[in-house]
Amino acid sequence: MIILDSFVGGILLVTSAIIIGIGAYGLTASSNLLRQLLSVEVMFNGLLLLVIPILAGSSYLATYFGIIAISVVSVEVIVVVSILIAFLRQYRSLSSSDLEESEV
Amino acid sequence: MSGVSVDLPLFAAVLSVMAIVAAYMVIRIKDLVYASVTLAVLGSLTAALLAVVGFGIIGAYLVLVYVGAAVMFIIISVSMIGPQREETREPFRGLVAAAAVTTLILVVVFALSLYRLFVVPAPIQASQAAAGALHEYLPVLALIFVGQAATVVEAIAIAKRGERK
Repeated sequence: MIILDSFVGGILLVTSAIIIGIGAYGLTASSNLLRQLLSVEVMFNGLLLLVIPILAGSSYLATYFGIIAISVVSVEVIVVVSILIAFLRQYRSLSSSDLEESEV
Repeated sequence: MSGVSVDLPLFAAVLSVMAIVAAYMVIRIKDLVYASVTLAVLGSLTAALLAVVGFGIIGAYLVLVYVGAAVMFIIISVSMIGPQREETREPFRGLVAAAAVTTLILVVVFALSLYRLFVVPAPIQASQAAAGALHEYLPVLALIFVGQAATVVEAIAIAKRGERK
């Protein structure tokens, strides 16, 4: 087992932490539900960069985990966008404050 | 024929900076269509980074399924929804959350020495990976296939339900 070059490993670690932080910023700072969905997707990309190299001790495990995670997230995106479209048609808004007021 | 020599750490560093900029643009660009397009760019850069450190199969799958299907679905949906009214922002709350999450991740990774687990993956063949997946994870793959098929029906049903008569 070859330890990943410490410089490249450090780059991956710092990059993933910063990207997840940026996603958390967008998720909590914005009131638009679509923007929040995009922020969650940003966090997913950062998480993938963090978790996949950690699981690399077993190449197959990392590959299977990556494929399953990407498949599940793709499905989740489609369902969430559909829910947002239904919400938009019902309330003519995509604001999270309207979501709280409508007690959905 | 001599191959082109690429400095791997430098290449990874450039890709990382581009990925961070793309992530920042996703949350800063006001137009949601362009923000979604930037998310596709971020997905491609993530795939490139994963491929650079040895996860070519995951990188290809990320581009094909995530960028090619899921993010394209977001882009098309946002384009059809049209412009939204101005969104309110609470930057202070966002900064606190971002600082907390980033610090938590770094503390956990360094406290548990998870960075030592970053290893160069052994090269694997796509055919071997597919055969292994079919042998060991067939129920999971079947569930994913059924789930994705059901999702299409579910998405149409949910979207039509909110239609006003």
